[in-house]
Amino acid sequence: MTNLADSRPQVKEKPAKFVPGQPDMWMFVLFESLLFTGYFSVYLVSRTQNEQLYLQSQADLDLRIGIFNTIALLLSSLTIARCVKASRAGNYRSALTNAFLTIFFGVVFLVSKILEWVKEIRLGNTFTSNEFFQHYFFLTSIHCIHVLIGFVVLGVVVYQLKSPARRSQQLVETGATYWHTVDFLWVLIFALLYVVR
Amino acid sequence: MPDPPAGSRVSRLVWNFRHHPKRELWFAWWVMVIFYNLYGVLFFFVTHVQPPPSPAWDTPTVVRWFDDNGHGILVGFSVVFLVAGMCAPMNALLAYSMRRMSVSRVFAYSYLIIYSLAAVPGMLVMAIAMTVAALRPDRDPQLIHWLYDFAFLSFSGTMGVFMIGSLVWLVAVLLDKNRVFPKWFGYLSLCNALTEVVVAPAWIFQRGAFAWNGAIAWWINMVVFVLYTCVFIVLLRKMIEREDFGTGPLPDLLGKRAAVQSDSVEAVR
Repeated sequence: MTNLADSRPQVKEKPAKFVPGQPDMWMFVLFESLLFTGYFSVYLVSRTQNEQLYLQSQADLDLRIGIFNTIALLLSSLTIARCVKASRAGNYRSALTNAFLTIFFGVVFLVSKILEWVKEIRLGNTFTSNEFFQHYFFLTSIHCIHVLIGFVVLGVVVYQLKSPARRSQQLVETGATYWHTVDFLWVLIFALLYVVR
Repeated sequence: MPDPPAGSRVSRLVWNFRHHPKRELWFAWWVMVIFYNLYGVLFFFVTHVQPPPSPAWDTPTVVRWFDDNGHGILVGFSVVFLVAGMCAPMNALLAYSMRRMSVSRVFAYSYLIIYSLAAVPGMLVMAIAMTVAALRPDRDPQLIHWLYDFAFLSFSGTMGVFMIGSLVWLVAVLLDKNRVFPKWFGYLSLCNALTEVVVAPAWIFQRGAFAWNGAIAWWINMVVFVLYTCVFIVLLRKMIEREDFGTGPLPDLLGKRAAVQSDSVEAVR
């Protein structure tokens, strides 16, 4: 038993932090990156088989909306980063304000995305219209599901920051890592759907 | 935990069978390993329903497919009907993992009910529809085609049930304080749950990436599902090894080995 008692603190003495938040969340970042690499590869391969159709369909997308979406999410990433920084410094009031700002920019993104979907559907571009719009609606919807889950994650961050009894810095950083992943995936989706010609 | 007496391999096996405190858990775990192996062999190599044939086939092609695969379908799905009951100890072990967590029993019960029901659309409906089509080749080809659609859509199009199951497990793992599973497994469950959503367009499309045999709706999902299944089988094995039948955090395997080593050192002394 002495060995057992001795061995445990040794395990704990290992460098405690390699990354911000739970290392487990970084595994999620890895899984999601691999998964989306798969989705993007399928999109790019389909695109090479019918480039003309993809170019024509892309012309129906409004680049300005895509840029607006991207700016909204980049701002949300900035505010969540400021939230983590403030929380690390013990400035919880500012951390909370930044967490709420992140939720606000997330909502702005979501509403603008829904308005864009409505606009495309009115133009006659639906999920079943053609291959490009299949990928467009699929990638944007699956990303929006990530945003919705992100609201739950941000809810956990706010819950942690609200009471002095909680305030787990690790959970705040884990939530921020998730939100940055949502942003990172959007930047790639934006580049592939709106920019790559 | 009592150790098996020294003796022949057979006598130790008999002792383990009669007295091992974890015998039910190990039984359920081995059932799971055997079931998934059987499932893979039967669905991929005997019945040839996986990877799925094209949803865009015309009726004569579907009828010909049934003619060519008739024997495989009958043999394969007969075994599926025989082993379908293996789902019970498997689901029980999964629910057990949640009961060992520090979370409410509601999680285990919800999971158990969802996965017990999921075996119906996820396996049995397909087996029944395919067997009917294979045993009634004289029926109207349109009906055979209908059974083909019915079988594959019930198999691929009902993943929502599995999605909710994965989410229940995910929340349980993230809330658990007994360290039954690592948190990254919870996040992997989220990835798996999200891929289950992606199969839904298979109801609409007969061609392309989102059809039931498509690159996104089938191939990518299958890779994630196989990875997820392998991971939880390994983690359940570790859970059984670590199980101390207490209610607090599960002890580490490393600590246990150290304890065993220290015990042997004490014994030598």
